[in-house]
Amino acid sequence: MEKKAILVDIKRCVGCQSCEQACQRVHGFPEQHQAHLSDTALTVVEQHGEKFVRRMCLHCEDPACASACLVGALKKSSFGPVTYDAKKCMGCRYCMIACPQAVPKYEWSKLAPYVKKCDMCAERQAAGEKPACVEACPLDASTVGNREDILKEAWSRVRSDSSYVPRVYGVEEFGGTSVFYISDVAFEELGFVKPALGSQPLPTLSAAALGETPTVVLVGGSMLAALYWITQRRRDVALAESHTAQPKQTEKIDEGRS
Amino acid sequence: MAAKLPKLTLWRAITAIIFMVGAYAAYLRFFIGWQASTNLTDAQPWGLWVGFGTLCGVGLSAGGFGLAGAVYLLGMERYRPILRASILLSFLGYSTVCTGMLYELGLPWRIWHPLIYWNGHSVLFDVSMCVMAYTSVLALEFSPSLIEKLPWKAARDFYLHWHHKVLIALVLAGVLLSSMHQSFLGGLFLIAKGKVYPLWYSPYLTTMFYLSAIPAGIAMLIVALYLCVRSLNVRIEYSILEELSRVMGIMLGVYGIFRAIDLWRNHALQYLFTRRIETAYFWLEIMLLVIIPVALLSQSKIRNTPRALYWTCATVVMGFMANRLNVSITAIDATTGANYSPKWPELALTLAVVTAAAVAFRLAVIHLDILPKNEPKSARWIMNSAEPAEA
Ligand code: SF4
Ligand code: SF4
Repeated sequence: MEKKAILVDIKRCVGCQSCEQACQRVHGFPEQHQAHLSDTALTVVEQHGEKFVRRMCLHCEDPACASACLVGALKKSSFGPVTYDAKKCMGCRYCMIACPQAVPKYEWSKLAPYVKKCDMCAERQAAGEKPACVEACPLDASTVGNREDILKEAWSRVRSDSSYVPRVYGVEEFGGTSVFYISDVAFEELGFVKPALGSQPLPTLSAAALGETPTVVLVGGSMLAALYWITQRRRDVALAESHTAQPKQTEKIDEGRS
Repeated sequence: MAAKLPKLTLWRAITAIIFMVGAYAAYLRFFIGWQASTNLTDAQPWGLWVGFGTLCGVGLSAGGFGLAGAVYLLGMERYRPILRASILLSFLGYSTVCTGMLYELGLPWRIWHPLIYWNGHSVLFDVSMCVMAYTSVLALEFSPSLIEKLPWKAARDFYLHWHHKVLIALVLAGVLLSSMHQSFLGGLFLIAKGKVYPLWYSPYLTTMFYLSAIPAGIAMLIVALYLCVRSLNVRIEYSILEELSRVMGIMLGVYGIFRAIDLWRNHALQYLFTRRIETAYFWLEIMLLVIIPVALLSQSKIRNTPRALYWTCATVVMGFMANRLNVSITAIDATTGANYSPKWPELALTLAVVTAAAVAFRLAVIHLDILPKNEPKSARWIMNSAEPAEA
């Protein structure tokens, strides 16, 4: 399947919360508006002054959450969504530490809690359907399509209407995402996260540290072995010098040192 | 000895209470739920258990690999009398961490998942593999102390002979493994740039964690040994501790210098005096971990007074804890506004696990040949190299 993406047009959104309800319906959550993302609200419409901003997982191209997850429960699928495999998850919550948007939420009220986050309705999309939230939007404030087409659409809306901020949020941010936003109000005023690294994806930070591992192991390992060899040799020489040595004796003394 | 009895029962009573409260807290965690037992939230998903249980637990267990490396790889034989104690301390530290992990994980029965589901891009994956491997290495390194108590001579000899053959490889693997995960623990927070307050974020978090773990491990070791000498029938040549403390002081100084350069290079110096609670926590950490102990340890009078040295080391241990808690809690709270403070069951469980480790350490020192005992003993058939130390 080709790469999909969602476009959220903040100018068009009137805050009707249809997307929220559709999402909750699909997941079998109670249908109620919540102020912030939670384990039963994977997308929420936040109000900033006159404006409504639909929050959800951005489905980063190089997701911090997926790079953090030690068992690979979070994965970037080839067609866009960042999905969660509940069977692998062990509940360490490192994904929550890693995500710059604080998207993954935890079922704190359950005894066997799982991580909850939007998966862009990956299953529905694989079956040729639209994500529930997009389908529910009465005003086309959310649209889905091939990533390229969606980007073209985003830019053409921005260029043809001068009231838009000349920017598509998600092109560069966090190394690119699969959810784009366009807006007629500056993104900074709408509570959008400023990426700590600009357009560089966060996983590059840990990759840099992990990349050194093999070198450290090889160099460190051989240095330690060399140290041991020198130590051992010095001891042998010392022994040989002090007792006019029979090799057997050396061995015996060594054996005691366990 | 009779005079000591009431004191002992008091301590036993306290221990029993700690275990009972801990058991109730465990009940809350496993049968009632997270909200009854923790103050964790989506904004602060790692609290005391990760910050103290894992980060401090692993860090304070660094003494074992330091000493094993010094004795076996560098041939510093004079440290051998305390080698077993330090390995035991590390082993118990890691066992504590593994127990604590059962509370930390949402789905603890899947603790083995990293063995089959690999994600090599994850720092936490590397940490978990290293910790698993190193805990096994420590168990093997420690095993002779138990095996030599076996009544069957043939089995004993066989095991000890075999053990001796692989020992160096074990020590080597151990030093590498622990160096790696001590630094990776800092590496965990690399990806959370933007969520970690600038006083603690650094691209060299890995180096910082490594540099602070070794002196903190030594401090913990000295604290434990001092308590052993005070309360148990063992003796330790004091000059060893003095020497270790000198090394520790130098390491802490080096760490302090690195830390200062690092703050300057990260343009974080401006945060040193801002009026925020984080600033206070930062200075508390630096005072306890670097400034006070370095100043004290530079004086030979302090190093040569057991009691003073003990308190200095306790300061280092506290400063180290402050550092790890600051990185994992203060620094994240500052940016997410989580305002986390642990709920009592979090504290109670932590305390119970640490107490269990302390009790195990005590029992091992009493019943096994961990440290040279006071009364002259008939010749033992192992450890003939551990010359009885002069008091
Ligand atoms: S926004 Fe967060 S949860 Fe979503 S893909 Fe990016 S890192 Fe993962
Ligand atoms: S909580 Fe689950 S999904 Fe998140 S990092 Fe841990 S194992 Fe992966």
